[in-house]
Amino acid sequence: MKARLISCVCVTAITVVAGAQARPDRGAADPGVTASTITIGGTVPLTGVAAAYASVGRGADAYFKYVNARGGVNGRKIEYKFLDDAYNPANTVQETRKLVQEEKVFAIFNSLGTEHNLAIRPFLNASKVPQVFAASGATTFGADYKQYPWTIGYLPSYVAEGVIYGKHLLKTRPGARVAVVYQNDDYGKDLIAGLKKGLGSSGKIVAQEGYEVTSTDVSSQISKLKSSGAKILLIAATPAHAIRAYIAVNKIGWKPQIVINQVAAATNTMKIAALSSGKVAEGSISINFLKDPADPRWRNDKGGKLYRQIFKQYGSGDVNDVYNVYAMAAAHTLVGALKRAGKTPTRDGLIKALTTLNETNNPFILPGIKVSTKPNDRFPIKQAQLQQWKQGRWVPFGPILNARG
Amino acid sequence: MKAPLALWAIRVALFAGAVTALAFLPRLLGTFRASQFALVAIYFVALLGLNVLTGYNGQISLGHGAFMAIGGYTTAILMSDQGLELAGHTFASDMRDIYTIPIAGLVAGAAGIAFGIPALRLSGLYLALATFAVAVALPSVLKKAETLTGGSSGINLFGVPRLTGLGVETTVLGHTISFNDWLYYLSWTVAVVLFAAAWLLLQGRFGRALRAIRDSELAAAASGVSLATYKTLAFGISAFYAGVAGSLFAVHTTFVNPDTFPITLSIFLLVGVVVGGLGSLSTLVFGAAFIVFLPDVAQRISKSPGAPAMIYAAVLIAAMFVLPTGVGGLVRRFVSPLTTRLYTRS
Repeated sequence: MKARLISCVCVTAITVVAGAQARPDRGAADPGVTASTITIGGTVPLTGVAAAYASVGRGADAYFKYVNARGGVNGRKIEYKFLDDAYNPANTVQETRKLVQEEKVFAIFNSLGTEHNLAIRPFLNASKVPQVFAASGATTFGADYKQYPWTIGYLPSYVAEGVIYGKHLLKTRPGARVAVVYQNDDYGKDLIAGLKKGLGSSGKIVAQEGYEVTSTDVSSQISKLKSSGAKILLIAATPAHAIRAYIAVNKIGWKPQIVINQVAAATNTMKIAALSSGKVAEGSISINFLKDPADPRWRNDKGGKLYRQIFKQYGSGDVNDVYNVYAMAAAHTLVGALKRAGKTPTRDGLIKALTTLNETNNPFILPGIKVSTKPNDRFPIKQAQLQQWKQGRWVPFGPILNARG
Repeated sequence: MKAPLALWAIRVALFAGAVTALAFLPRLLGTFRASQFALVAIYFVALLGLNVLTGYNGQISLGHGAFMAIGGYTTAILMSDQGLELAGHTFASDMRDIYTIPIAGLVAGAAGIAFGIPALRLSGLYLALATFAVAVALPSVLKKAETLTGGSSGINLFGVPRLTGLGVETTVLGHTISFNDWLYYLSWTVAVVLFAAAWLLLQGRFGRALRAIRDSELAAAASGVSLATYKTLAFGISAFYAGVAGSLFAVHTTFVNPDTFPITLSIFLLVGVVVGGLGSLSTLVFGAAFIVFLPDVAQRISKSPGAPAMIYAAVLIAAMFVLPTGVGGLVRRFVSPLTTRLYTRS
């Protein structure tokens, strides 16, 4: 009797264990993916000093809504949750925790800012959550993939941007004396490092003045730079401070050739700068890799039309805000990668897809610029074109340039 | 007038009830919510300190974020490998997070006293401006001391060996709890202890002296209260609290850089004290919750351009209309008519 009881218990136990193993493994689907949805999230400044970048969230949101209305990704709708971090990395950390731990997102997408992405990178890599298209041009997001395999950037690096300016100045103004006003953090310093590299030994940075993100004035920096006798001024600043720099230059009657970094070169920013600083803005130089909505060239272009259609239906704010286009370009690339990340997308599959990008037809990016990566090359956009501000709009010039590294 | 026994019983019961509720709250909350409530505790500590200074002593500080930064950076530098050398010992990530908390408090407290001495010559708006200047200048100072502070990239503590549970999960008394729950219990334990300390401190002779100075410096001095001693001490204690809060904040965020302690933080702290109620302690919890949850609520209502900031402002203005004396004033208005009956007529 006792033996029978024991064998009975054993059989039951075996059945339970075997049954548990035979059960289809539901844990295989990664968080954030259901039969009908893929949830992703990210942080952008909707308030505070960098609120001009809010459209980086809203533009992507509009694009996902457009994709969802057309059936989504392999039948799944994309739910994009973008939260405000007020451009404070402490908030970025807290909001990202919320997205990962409470909202259970599949991936973090398009979070904005250099320090902000640095702050969340170890956490996301430890949690094995993809940090997709960190909206920062810091080289580390593309270069340090061995240590942080779950992270990838998108923008051309700030160093590469600086190199382009340096080389251009070297060619057009040999022996140039350059002054720089920069945001006093890694982003500003990366641009300066690139500029130095591009100028080589013949040009020279004669003065550089940093400002704090939290400050509201750059005029003392500008007057110091003027007294250095420089004929060229690089503004390595975010939009609000870039506008202040233009105003300050005009106020003290300085007439340098201005080079403005791409993150502040949106047409609407430049229009404000030009309106409030007389003729100073005319002839400014920058780089671009997007189809600027304010550029009449793209009025009848397929991509330009698509942008306007999506914006009209799902967007908000200013239609000429180029950050909307940036966001849609990144969202377009992500959607393409998600389609290749497996029938039921996995985080692993997404990283594989993101490191084998080969997108030649992104409708929001300048023709001729490719979005491509390899497992050992994590800089999706490596090309850009120079442009000059003439009578209220950017006019591109020269060939598509290499902006690698 | 001494409080009667019945009032004491009510106070003790309320305190015990609050502590019990706090102990079991994480069971009801998700793991993320626990981390959010931990943040409430952290701001609560900072607000307690600020209220000692502003609410009880009448000195306005617009720069308490700077003292939080000092505490936060002290913890971050002691925990990580920044190559700090002190008295022949090189700190190379060999101090556990919890041991750095009192040190951070003391460092910030010392900074507070150091600032409090010159501040004696300033009062009212001038003092507010001087403290504001400290908060404005600190980020630049932190960026200059790059070798120690990591410059603008700051110091990342996530995964640092001396961070409890490496920021993932940890074992406490045989229970495995998530990092968020750990943060919750750590922050609230510190907050409850510091709350009790502040309460005891302000009950007696010390609190009376602070209030006397607030109400009239001349009268206080005439009654033999040393203005210099008490005002400087108030600054020191207040900064100690801010330093502890900053330290907990660094452990919570697992990241410090100059932008994590912006000027707006100092302003928010003042907002928290005003909402919680100047000159009351327990109701500062509401001020702390206000700071933590309002931005969250604002962006949940609308994300369209400019909306979150406007909602935030509107709620703040409304709060000041409805609660001109903060939650503390409201509680006093409703509770004191009831509790005064407990005092025997004499």
